[in-house]
Amino acid sequence: MIVNRNITMTWWERIYLPEIFRGISVTSNHFFRNLIGFIPALLNKDKKRKIFTLYYPDEKVEFPPAYRGRPVLVVDENGTERCVACGLCEIVCPAKCIEIQPDETELEKERYPKSFSINMARCIFCGFCEEVCPKEAIVMSDECEIADLDRNKMFYKKDQLLISKNKLQKRLNYIKEIYGKWNY
Amino acid sequence: MEDFLITTAKVLFIFGLNMGVFAPLLTWVERKQSALMQDRIGANRADILGFSMIGLFHPIADAIKMLAKEDFIPEGANKIMHTLSPIICVVPALLTFAVIPFGGEYVIGGKHIKLVIADLDVGLIFIFAISSLATYGTVIAGWSSNNNWSLLGSLRASAQMISYEVAMGFTLVGVFMVYGSLQLTQIGAAQESFFRWGIFLQPLGFFMFLACAIAENKRAPFDVAEGESEIIAGYFLEYSGLKFGMFYMAEFLEIVTISAMVTTLFFGAWHIPFISSALILSMLSFLNETLANIILMLIHISVFWVKVIFFIWFQMTIRWTLPRFRYDQIMKLGWKILLPLSLANILVTGIVILILQ
Ligand code: SF4
Ligand code: SF4
Repeated sequence: MIVNRNITMTWWERIYLPEIFRGISVTSNHFFRNLIGFIPALLNKDKKRKIFTLYYPDEKVEFPPAYRGRPVLVVDENGTERCVACGLCEIVCPAKCIEIQPDETELEKERYPKSFSINMARCIFCGFCEEVCPKEAIVMSDECEIADLDRNKMFYKKDQLLISKNKLQKRLNYIKEIYGKWNY
Repeated sequence: MEDFLITTAKVLFIFGLNMGVFAPLLTWVERKQSALMQDRIGANRADILGFSMIGLFHPIADAIKMLAKEDFIPEGANKIMHTLSPIICVVPALLTFAVIPFGGEYVIGGKHIKLVIADLDVGLIFIFAISSLATYGTVIAGWSSNNNWSLLGSLRASAQMISYEVAMGFTLVGVFMVYGSLQLTQIGAAQESFFRWGIFLQPLGFFMFLACAIAENKRAPFDVAEGESEIIAGYFLEYSGLKFGMFYMAEFLEIVTISAMVTTLFFGAWHIPFISSALILSMLSFLNETLANIILMLIHISVFWVKVIFFIWFQMTIRWTLPRFRYDQIMKLGWKILLPLSLANILVTGIVILILQ
């Protein structure tokens, strides 16, 4: 079926040959640029290629702070998690995948989660838990390689979720910026 | 006996270069070049002991894979024809090289050696005759597979190839009017001086010939016969293993043949622009005649193949730049544009030759 798209072409475009050369110049421009861009990368492993594609398992992308990977619990300088087991994240989670058992503690925060688990097979990476948390205790990390063949292994326990604060500093700064107008 | 040895050497050279270097390497070139043109990396996973060599082992991996695959013949297919058609596709692509000269004439040890396997005085006609045979390969492949997609593909292929054969024949009439010969060695020798190259004498002929030749080879933008998105793979849909590989090999060999023909007819064959053979020979005059001729021969052979490689690159670039034509556009281009234009080209060439006489 011939669809009339009402494209008006100039005479120059209609003779087609010059347009072919324009197209070829664009593609061969890319070809030669990438060809030359490859050479420094071949000689020196640290040099960056011009091509965006990565050799994925060998090379990894550094995600921007806005990236939402698996949710993790922030561990403060004193070595304990920030979470006070208020249960807000448990309630807001649309996938109902967080389970918390609160308990009392001698520390200043008075409450802590005795067990904290996230069923990563059900998590939808919405980031609501992070947004609702009053203590900035649960944040989205940049880890995304969490696939597994075993469902039971997708059930993350508290010790798998704890990640020290320094590693998450970028995300912590970022969420302060975007959620700041409500929380602070 | 000596003639026989020389001819055997030439045949082995052409055969080895085509089957041993170009056919496997072009599969790699096509992947890698398309990748670079689209800002990708391309084939690089096949490795031997951890060395991937920018993907150069992929042709080997492909060959092993093809050898190990089941040789499948569909039910209800014509077994003999089904087996025969890949061969009918490959042979013409190789055979055309018999008349294409890859160098001039040299005096080595008092013997005149022409670097062409068969110096036919109807070389161009021979090429047409042989390349038309490739049509049978595709038609028989589609018909014998007992598959509707294949039949559609081969119908498209035959219609397209036959229509473009007409235009291709006429585009080359201009060339042999200008050079006054059908013999490819003479056409090549006539392009000694840079401004006698075919591209200057027959500029329109060059573009039309290239278009027709790519259409003959059924590669994008003229690949409706394959048309993966419409008829899956067209005429070679029901093929597997080595037979499938042979269709690809035929396609790649034809690229080389087209490049060699374009080089011979329009781009000065084995000549280097502004540097004549006599000049090179006079520069090498301190050597004895045989040695100088051998060096000249090697220079000419490499110049010829460099030009061929350039045109292979150019065809690949076209293939990965232009989108596929619609079927009616292909027919329109062939019959309504290329055919009248090539006839006009003959007319103008004739008038110019008459005036110059
Ligand atoms: S909202 Fe924050 S503090 Fe409350 S239970 Fe969840 S992680 Fe702990
Ligand atoms: S990211 Fe969303 S789905 Fe996942 S645990 Fe947090 S609230 Fe639940």
